[in-house]
Parts: sequence; C-alpha cells; structure tokens
Amino acid sequence: MIKRNLGATALLAAAAVLALAWPTAAQAPIKVGASISLTGTYAKPGTYQKEGYELCAQEVNDKGGVLGRKVEFVFYDDQSMPPTGVRLYEKLITEDKVDVVMGPYSSAISEAVANVTEKYKKVMVAPLAATTSIFKKGRKYAFMVISPAEVYLEGLVDLAAKRGLKTIAIVNEDTLFPKTAAVGTAELAKKKGLQIVLQEAYPKGNTDFSALLTKIKAANPDVIAASTYFDDAVALTRQMKELNLNPKMYGVTVGGDIPEFYDLLKQNAEYIYGATQWEPTLPYPGQKEFMAAYTSKFKHEPSYHAAAGYAGCQIYLEAVKRAATLDADKVRDQLLKLEMRTILGDYKVDADGFQTAHKMVLFQWQDGKKVTVWPDDMAAGAKVRFPTPPWNQR
Amino acid sequence: MPHVTPIMLGQVIVSGLLAGALYAMVALGLGLIFGVMRVLNVAHGPLLMLGAYVTYWLFSTVGLNPYLSLLVSMPLVFLIGVALQHVFVRRVVDAPELSSLLLTFGISIALVNLAQLAFTSDLRSVEFLTGSFLVGPFAFSKSRVIACLFAAGITALAFLFLQKTRLGKAIRAVSQSREVAQVCGINVQRIHLFAFGLASALAAAGGTLVAVMVAIQPEMGAVYTFKSFLVIVLGGAGNYPGALLGGLLLGLVEQLASLFLTTQVNEAVAYVLLVLVLLLRPTGLLGGRST
Repeated sequence: MIKRNLGATALLAAAAVLALAWPTAAQAPIKVGASISLTGTYAKPGTYQKEGYELCAQEVNDKGGVLGRKVEFVFYDDQSMPPTGVRLYEKLITEDKVDVVMGPYSSAISEAVANVTEKYKKVMVAPLAATTSIFKKGRKYAFMVISPAEVYLEGLVDLAAKRGLKTIAIVNEDTLFPKTAAVGTAELAKKKGLQIVLQEAYPKGNTDFSALLTKIKAANPDVIAASTYFDDAVALTRQMKELNLNPKMYGVTVGGDIPEFYDLLKQNAEYIYGATQWEPTLPYPGQKEFMAAYTSKFKHEPSYHAAAGYAGCQIYLEAVKRAATLDADKVRDQLLKLEMRTILGDYKVDADGFQTAHKMVLFQWQDGKKVTVWPDDMAAGAKVRFPTPPWNQR
Repeated sequence: MPHVTPIMLGQVIVSGLLAGALYAMVALGLGLIFGVMRVLNVAHGPLLMLGAYVTYWLFSTVGLNPYLSLLVSMPLVFLIGVALQHVFVRRVVDAPELSSLLLTFGISIALVNLAQLAFTSDLRSVEFLTGSFLVGPFAFSKSRVIACLFAAGITALAFLFLQKTRLGKAIRAVSQSREVAQVCGINVQRIHLFAFGLASALAAAGGTLVAVMVAIQPEMGAVYTFKSFLVIVLGGAGNYPGALLGGLLLGLVEQLASLFLTTQVNEAVAYVLLVLVLLLRPTGLLGGRST
C-alpha cells in the first residue's frame, strides 16, 4: 500500500516536473549537429558547406525559426578524415545530445558517418555526398541532394563525342567519390563510342604526377577526364603544363569550380572544363537573393558546396515544417514525398533516398569566368572554346 | 603493364632524379640531427612547411623572387631551429628515444596549427615558373630543374662544410662519439644548437623550392618527414653521403614504380624497398654508424 502510494507520488512529481519543463524546452533552439572538414584536404569545400549551413540557419531564424524554435548549428572539424567524423557524430548524438544532424562534406565521410546516424535513427540529409552506393545499402534515414558521382563528367564525354573525338584517358584519386565518378565516366565514354586508352588511380595526397602524366602523354588521348578533389586538380594541371601535355579537352570533377582554382592557376586554368552541381547564373528561384546575402555575410562568392549546404538545410527544414515535428520517422516520410525546387535545382528522391531530379552542368573557364557549356538548355547559347590550344599558345 | 618507350623511361628517370635531389637535401637535415643527437625529429617536415610559407609570404606581399627568398627562409628557420633546440629538444637528448619522438611530434602539431592560424588551411601557390624546358621529345619542368640545381648546390655546400671547416669537423666528431669530442674540448651543447639550426635551414630550403613546384598548405610537411626517414634508413642512419644516395634512389623508385606499375603503389614499393634494406643490410646501403 505504502509502496503503491510512493509510486503514485513519484509519478505525479515526475509529471509536474515535465509539465514545468515543457514550455521552456519548446522554446530552446533546435540543435543541429554536423562534422565538417575545416582542415585537411577537404578544408576548402568543407568551409563553403559550413557557410551554406550558417546562412540557411540565419535566414530561417530571421523569419522566426522552425516549429517556433530557433535553429542552432553545432560544428566540429573532422580534419577530412572518416574515422574522426564517425567519432564526432557519436559525440554529437550521445554527449552533446543534439536534436538532429546534417551531413558532413564528401562521400567518404558521409558513408562512414551514415552508420552512426542509422544506429541512432537520426535523419541525415547529406548535401555533399554524391556516391550512389551510400544510398543503396538499405539505409532508412540517409537522403541525397546532389547528382550522383557517376554522371559528373557526362557533359565532357557528350561534348567530346559530338566533336568527333575518339580517345580518352581517365585518372582518379583512389577514394570513394572520385573512384565512382571515374567508373561512371568510363561507362558513359564506352556508350558514346570513345576508346579508353588509359585508366589509373593515384593515392590521396599524391603531389607528384610526372610518371602518370608521362604515360598519358605516350597514350596521346584526345580527352583527359580527371576525377579529382581540389589539391590534386591544381597539381595535375600544373604538371600537365610542365610535361607539355596537350589534350584537345581536359576536364576535372571537383575543385575546378572553386574560384580559388583560377586564383591559384591564373591563365593556366583557361579552357579547362569543370563539372558542377550548381552555378550562380543558373535560373533557379531565390538565386539572386542567395548570392546577395551570401556575399554580404562572408565577403566572398559561394561555390556549389555552399549552395548545396544551404539547399540541403532548407530541404531538411521544409520536411520538418511539413511533419510539424522532429520525429525522425515522420520527417523521413515527408522527405520521401517532398518535391522542391531550391537554388540548387530540383529535389526529389526515390524510396531509398537516392536523388533523381537534380541535373549536373559542365562549364569551361573562359577569360577568368566559368561559362556554362552543357547541357544545351542551360548553356544559353554560350560557345565552347574548342579545341584547347597547346600550353604555349594560351 | 603499359608499353614503355625509351623516351618515357628517360623522361621518368629524369623526373625521379629531379625529385631525388630535393629529397636528399631535406633528408640530410634529418640525418644530421639523428647523427649528432640520436633524436628523430618528427617536426622536420613542418619546418620545411615554414620555409615554404616564408617564400609564399615574401612573394605575395613584396613580390620577392622565390629563389632569392632562400636568403631569408634559411637563416630565419635556422634561428627557429636553434630556439627549438635551446628551449625544448636539448632536454631530451639523453632521454630514451620515445621521449624525443613525442616531443618533436608535439612541436610538429604546434607548428602546423600555428600555420593554420596564420595562413588558414587554404592552398597557396607561388605562380613563378610554370611550364617547362623542351629538349627534343623531353619536357623538363622549369621549377623542378631549378629546384634540383639549388638542392644539389646546397647539399654540396653542406658536405664541404662538414668535411672542411672546423665547425663541420666538430659536428662530425660529436656524431662519432660525444664523450671523446667533449674530452677534446668541443662544446657539445653549442654543436647541438648549430646542428639543429643547420638541419632546420636545410628543411627550409626544401620548403622554398617546393613552394615554387606545388601549391602549399600547412599540412604539407608530414609527407617530407616520412620520405626523409625512408631516405636516411636507405642510405644508412648517420651516414651523410648515404642520404644523397638514399634520396636519389627514393626519387627513382617512386617514379619507376608509377611508370611500370601504378601511381597507387609507388609508396608501397618504396616501403617494401625499405623493409628489404632493413632485412638484408640493416645498417643501410652505405652502412650507418653502429649504435
């Protein structure tokens, strides 16, 4: 009898505490955890992505937040390393007790941390994971935003085939995303009738490409497709010039679209093709406002990583709004149903969370500007500068 | 295996030797510290990185010719090296080797983080000499050829210094036997200071030359620490001409492995070579100093 009374009292007390705590908890900010590469080889794109997240949070908060609560990001630096990312998401979820999470930078780190977010049943919109396999492993809570790695250089291959080029060499950094992009490029090339004269990977952090480029020079391909990140894209380009390697077209996957690519290489970046998920000039809604807000906040222009971070955050918060709760399963249902056009382009996923609506574009560096040259409906009549002249004539 | 023509082979051998000369100069510094103090300096690569940033900074602010900036980067990093030795490293010279490893590892982390604070982790480049000398079917990168010449010159000067000058002889004496050197009236503490400074200056010279070849960032140094270890083990720890041979060999092996196999395995091949040398000639190819 006494025992039961005690139990009932405890329950009442607990209810009272909860009732008291509830209103304040409702107004506490929504803590969004993410690990981002702020140092290491992915530092550059990682920083852009972080800024995209920050701008998204700021704009949402200026409009009163989501579900009546402010949005507040908690960031840690994963030093561009997947194991560190895994540790940080564990820490974010179990120690910092963040309410929700957003994805890190790069496919490799997203792939690693997706195991953690699945384990704790956290929805993870991964705005900068472009590898198909991440979303095709039966994971329930991972969502893709950008186009998959396989189609990054579709534009390069397509333009090359249309211009009657016959041979292609494909090189890639030996990590998840570049490898997948290289495999996809090879398949597209075969489909378009291009002959692959050389395909080779190099380790992450490689700085000396002379032997690899010597082999490519001997194979003399019309097109060089490099599935890169930023550091290696810069190094490859410089060393191509040093070895006087002159393909008719040369394109890179990632890195070529960052403004610093041109700052570092100057006129040596001219004629180089780059693949991008997004350009500020593409006619998507909200683009001008985004550009203005971003440049005034961060004092530099955004890259697609920034746009994807921004759009990914918006997509997630839109789903939260529609679900009217942070409950992972209900938000997941909304993300599966959602069709949305952001500044990044279209969002729509299949039942696995795999992106199906977004489209890649190919640009070419012309007089210090990125000019969209593919697909035709985005190119707006811009001319491809073809073929790329030898280095001594640029 | 791809079809390898003599022209490809020639091109790759030259690339390997160009890279190797630089490795040799940088590794000589690491070998010097090890020879004189039995300290493995993990911060050697980060000191190279400091040299690279000195060059970048002088080039981007006052437009100083990067090769002239050797005259700044080497003395400056020499002084930094002397300071590191005076404040930190001298305390672990007689301690077990693990202590010196931990200490220099700490210094290396500190240097990298300071550089990240000062320069951010953005890639920086010195766009000075891009392009190449075209000789027949060969193309020789201008920046790499010049780096090789400077590295060879600086290494030769360092050797002359070690062989001919009183101070150089004293350094070698300390590296052969500290006690006997001390008995002969050599101030061992001062030799240690000078050796660490000289080694740091050699690393800085490497940094300056590398800055013209590739884009730089604060974490660039680590790979040179590893390569230098490899070089001095190959050549024989404490054997200074061995560093030269080890450096050239490493450069060649890396390039030839990339040519005949793939770029992915070139480091693996270099380390397999290391294991073989340790198994068959544990004192290095030219014989190291016995411990």
